[in-house]
Amino acid sequence: MTAHMTRDDIAVIQGCFGCTEAGARILADEMSSRSVTHRAILAIGGDRSAHLLLVVEGAVVAELFGVDGQQAQLARHGPGEIFGAYPDESVFRANMAAVGQTRLLTIATSRLRALAGEHAEIANGIANLLARQLDLVLDRMAARIGLSATGRFYRALLQLADGDGHIEPAPVVAALALSVHTTRETASRALATLVRRGIVLRQETGLRIVSRRMLEELIV
Amino acid sequence: MPETGGEYARILSLARSGATSRAWDIFVAAGLDRVDSDFDALTLKGRLLKDRARQSVADERTAMFDLARNAYEQAAALRQDSYPLINASAMALFAGDRVRSELLANRVLQLIDSGADRGETPYWCEATRAEALLLLGRQADAAKSFQEAVELAPTAWEDRAVTLRQFALIATQTKANVAWLDRLRPPAVLHFNGILGIASDNHTAAKAIQDAIEAIAPGFAFGALAAGADIIAAEALVGSGVELNVVLPSDPSDFRLSSVAPSGADWEQRFAALLDNANSVTICGSSEGTSAAGVMLAEYHAMGMVAELAGQLETRAVALRIEPAGRPVLGDPWLKSGRELHRVEIEGNAGLPSAPLPKGELVFDVAIDGAPPETYLDLDEALEVLATARDQIAALDCRLDDPQKVRTLLTHGEAGMLVASRSAALALLAFGAVRRVEPVGEMAAPAGPVEICLTKLTKNGG
Repeated sequence: MTAHMTRDDIAVIQGCFGCTEAGARILADEMSSRSVTHRAILAIGGDRSAHLLLVVEGAVVAELFGVDGQQAQLARHGPGEIFGAYPDESVFRANMAAVGQTRLLTIATSRLRALAGEHAEIANGIANLLARQLDLVLDRMAARIGLSATGRFYRALLQLADGDGHIEPAPVVAALALSVHTTRETASRALATLVRRGIVLRQETGLRIVSRRMLEELIV
Repeated sequence: MPETGGEYARILSLARSGATSRAWDIFVAAGLDRVDSDFDALTLKGRLLKDRARQSVADERTAMFDLARNAYEQAAALRQDSYPLINASAMALFAGDRVRSELLANRVLQLIDSGADRGETPYWCEATRAEALLLLGRQADAAKSFQEAVELAPTAWEDRAVTLRQFALIATQTKANVAWLDRLRPPAVLHFNGILGIASDNHTAAKAIQDAIEAIAPGFAFGALAAGADIIAAEALVGSGVELNVVLPSDPSDFRLSSVAPSGADWEQRFAALLDNANSVTICGSSEGTSAAGVMLAEYHAMGMVAELAGQLETRAVALRIEPAGRPVLGDPWLKSGRELHRVEIEGNAGLPSAPLPKGELVFDVAIDGAPPETYLDLDEALEVLATARDQIAALDCRLDDPQKVRTLLTHGEAGMLVASRSAALALLAFGAVRRVEPVGEMAAPAGPVEICLTKLTKNGG
């Protein structure tokens, strides 16, 4: 199922590509939103791959059958991660299946490459996305330990704050969540915890961090 | 604190997980014990010395509390801040210096009353005032002030729990009667589960479950949503304003097919409505569907989450079992933990449709330093082996059908500590084999991120 872009989607694109709102709108004009159910097969290994796909909700796993006939998971792409083809169309190396209710933003590989040629900020955004994806792959190979999902979200909130602890305007939680590779639900609950404890205050113009030390202590 | 950000977080994680000596060793190795002009280093030093004092023998304890007092006072001299000052006052009390404790408590009150320090949050401003009043022996004023703190942030449960813990320690030292604290204790955390095979209009069962929930009066609840007792209990909880946290062994769409739909369409609607009303939905099993082993893993997960939250909130962890009379309760990990358990005895309705689940297999992987990993089907057996690890680094994981990863956990361990995946850590909490678990981060793995925890087995763990 595909659908049109929402305001949150624009913020998501802006956050993931690290571009301006104008740049995000250019991308959004070429993108589609696609929702699939748990275990939906998105592609079979060997299928033509002519799109780049960004995971917005849920996850997508790449699965291969080994020589012993056992199915093995090659990779798992969570929120904020990309998969598919770029800069050239290609073929899928493995079967791609959704885990949980999953939503994707998709763009034709050829159109994305054309946009990258026309707009420096989009080219820069693609470079950043690919570099981040490479980091993730290397982290997985090294079984590296990093911050938890809530820890990453709290760190991102702190980074958005000015010297007085103000974050204006209030961030789009879904977009901020994706920029730190977590789900909107996890990020919303993490923010609700801060508000419940009085560590962060919701204001008309945005958010205010009341206790920077308490927030820092939660970054684990 | 120069170049200590990562080290500071590591030390704090170790201290929170109960690895007091290890945290102190790293603190000293980083040269932080010699720093006397950095607020953060000094407050961390005070905290570590306080933890060490609590674990010391009586002869050393007083001196250690006095060292903690000194560190906090040094921090307070650097910045007008009630946080180190109130801690210095409490440390002085524990060190047996009541006069100094009261002097420092009075300085806290002056600081707050002057408006120079508003506390880190409105709650902490008032709770700090309450602590100062308690340290001065002004119990009635302390109770009133604590009540005001609670009214300022009625759902700042974690912060309230810290205050409750601290007030209990002060009361033990001063031999004060602080029974009034119980009025301000957060509500209980509940784990619920029960039998399938109850007719959707079985009002007798629904009434018995509702009565049990009213008697326990929880504020938070964790459990699955199979058709039958689970759903009836969850509806009663939501109806009573309890925060419902759903823990499922598989994706909700799979779980609905395996454990709800076979009992009828009306149960499916109730399941969907509860999912919409849940505060959180945790899926802790396999992406391959629901199995009996996955159900067991989800039960351990939910029980562990109850024990974890109750510990964080300084409140009761309670289990509710809804079963036919006479059913043996052996094998319920909750019994091993020794925590409060309530039973509602009801009879199911015979002849209702049900679908048996595939068996699956839940295994526990243990790794100790360089030895090859071993796999057990029973957590008790795994605990017996872990108990032999002593000062070595040990790791524990539990899994269904995913690849073994316990060896990679070892690389994130600490000597004398147990490093565990979150699933395994929650199982340990469910069994009462550990008192607390400290999340230390997320390990990147090809099959998805794995949350890592540090913990320490209790003496009778295993």
